[in-house]
Amino acid sequence: MTTKYAKLVDTTRCNGCRACMVACKNWNDLPVDPEEFKGSYQSHDKCGANTWNMLTFTEHVAEGNRFEWLFRHTACFHCTDAACVKVCPADAMHFTEFGTVNTNYDKCIGCGYCVQNCPFGIVELETHTDENGTEYELAQKCVMCVDRLREGDQPACVEICHMDALIYGEKADMEALAEERLAEIKERFPNANIYNPVGVEGTQTFYLLAEPPSVYGLPENPRVPLSATVWKDYAQPLGKAMLGVTTMAVIGGYISNKLFNKDDHGADEGEESNE
Amino acid sequence: MSSQQQTVKRFSKPVIIVHWINAVAFLALYITGLPLYTDFFSWMYGVFGGPENLRLLHRIFAVVFILPVFIILITDPKSFFHWIKQAFTWRKSDFQFFAKFPKEFFGGHVKDMPKQDFYNAGEKLNSIMQIVCAVILIGSGIVIWMPHLFSTGIIQWAYPLHNIGFGLAAAVVVGHVFLSCGHPNSKISMQGMTKGDVPVDYAKDHHGKWYDELVAKGEIKEAPKKKDKGA
Repeated sequence: MTTKYAKLVDTTRCNGCRACMVACKNWNDLPVDPEEFKGSYQSHDKCGANTWNMLTFTEHVAEGNRFEWLFRHTACFHCTDAACVKVCPADAMHFTEFGTVNTNYDKCIGCGYCVQNCPFGIVELETHTDENGTEYELAQKCVMCVDRLREGDQPACVEICHMDALIYGEKADMEALAEERLAEIKERFPNANIYNPVGVEGTQTFYLLAEPPSVYGLPENPRVPLSATVWKDYAQPLGKAMLGVTTMAVIGGYISNKLFNKDDHGADEGEESNE
Repeated sequence: MSSQQQTVKRFSKPVIIVHWINAVAFLALYITGLPLYTDFFSWMYGVFGGPENLRLLHRIFAVVFILPVFIILITDPKSFFHWIKQAFTWRKSDFQFFAKFPKEFFGGHVKDMPKQDFYNAGEKLNSIMQIVCAVILIGSGIVIWMPHLFSTGIIQWAYPLHNIGFGLAAAVVVGHVFLSCGHPNSKISMQGMTKGDVPVDYAKDHHGKWYDELVAKGEIKEAPKKKDKGA
């Protein structure tokens, strides 16, 4: 098994500067995604096709009437058991040598299965127009700057983060670091926890959260949808097997009829009885 | 010669037309859906000029696939309801059919096949399977086509349902097509779906009850007893 790499998001260190958002747009050449002002410092509702990462701003009254303004850098989670990879019919969503999930735009057919099955609602389709004016859709999401990783660099968001709220490295090291930091902040944030959900066998973007996941709008126990498992692990192979069985039966029937079915019957009957 | 054989009317013009509209739509949907089912057929995107074109064609043929029900309800509802009623009416003779069928299928000659209805048990099974699959495919297809109208859970379940409907329907169709085009004992039935009539001998052998009804109604005369080959 290859070594997994991961991005640890320490929400308790984030000061909401949004440099990660800018760095991401910059490096990945993503167009602006203008939004109306909705009465919050938060810029976008969620990640989108052109906004691969963003900060959520949550106003939270914690125990003891303590007010907390919670910032969370959100992007693709790069699940170990990734629903998008499971349901992709074109092999476009795939795992990289870093354990992250990458999108192959040459293979993507824009079917949107990944969009409907992502447990975190991260993936989105984006309409592109080629030089002939033909419109086509491609799945879009954070790719953990895989091109930078391959050059030995850090993801753009990690490199720019001046608070050390984003740290990238070997998953094992990051998990150890998360535990270390968790111990440091336990006093100030008694509800602090590490969000590396087991339902999807851990994620390569994982969190040190100050409050329970639900406070941040995160699912407590995300997993690959049961429907996706039924679909890809049972229905599809069974369907193929069944088609194979009936086809073999038909071929067998055809051959055995050629061999044994030469007596009077069916179409030949009239002809022969006239003899 | 089969052309000289006495024949009896089996299917009406509207039934024949909607059957073939349905068949063409099914095949077209099958082909345009294939690359999504298995990566092995991804080269088809190139043939059809990209996944967008395949998706558009799939939706066009989806509408064509749904049309026959409405056409037959307007033009020949009697045949339609007769089919539905028969397909869901199962008697002892229908269940007995399947004990004898494999021998016949692989080239044997079953002498004691219990008398079958206008639709024999094999056709009934085929009909039920295709009706069920069509309901599954159309229902889930609408959800996949218009996801903004449905909740995430329903959309997520529509995919495996569409997949199951596809697998089942395709497997059944393989058998259906073989029995009508490839199997020597039953391929004469194809004439019923093209010209609309079948030889009386065929009706007697494969649809005994229907044959008896026709004789009782006086629509055909009892055929002379068949000469035994060896006699």
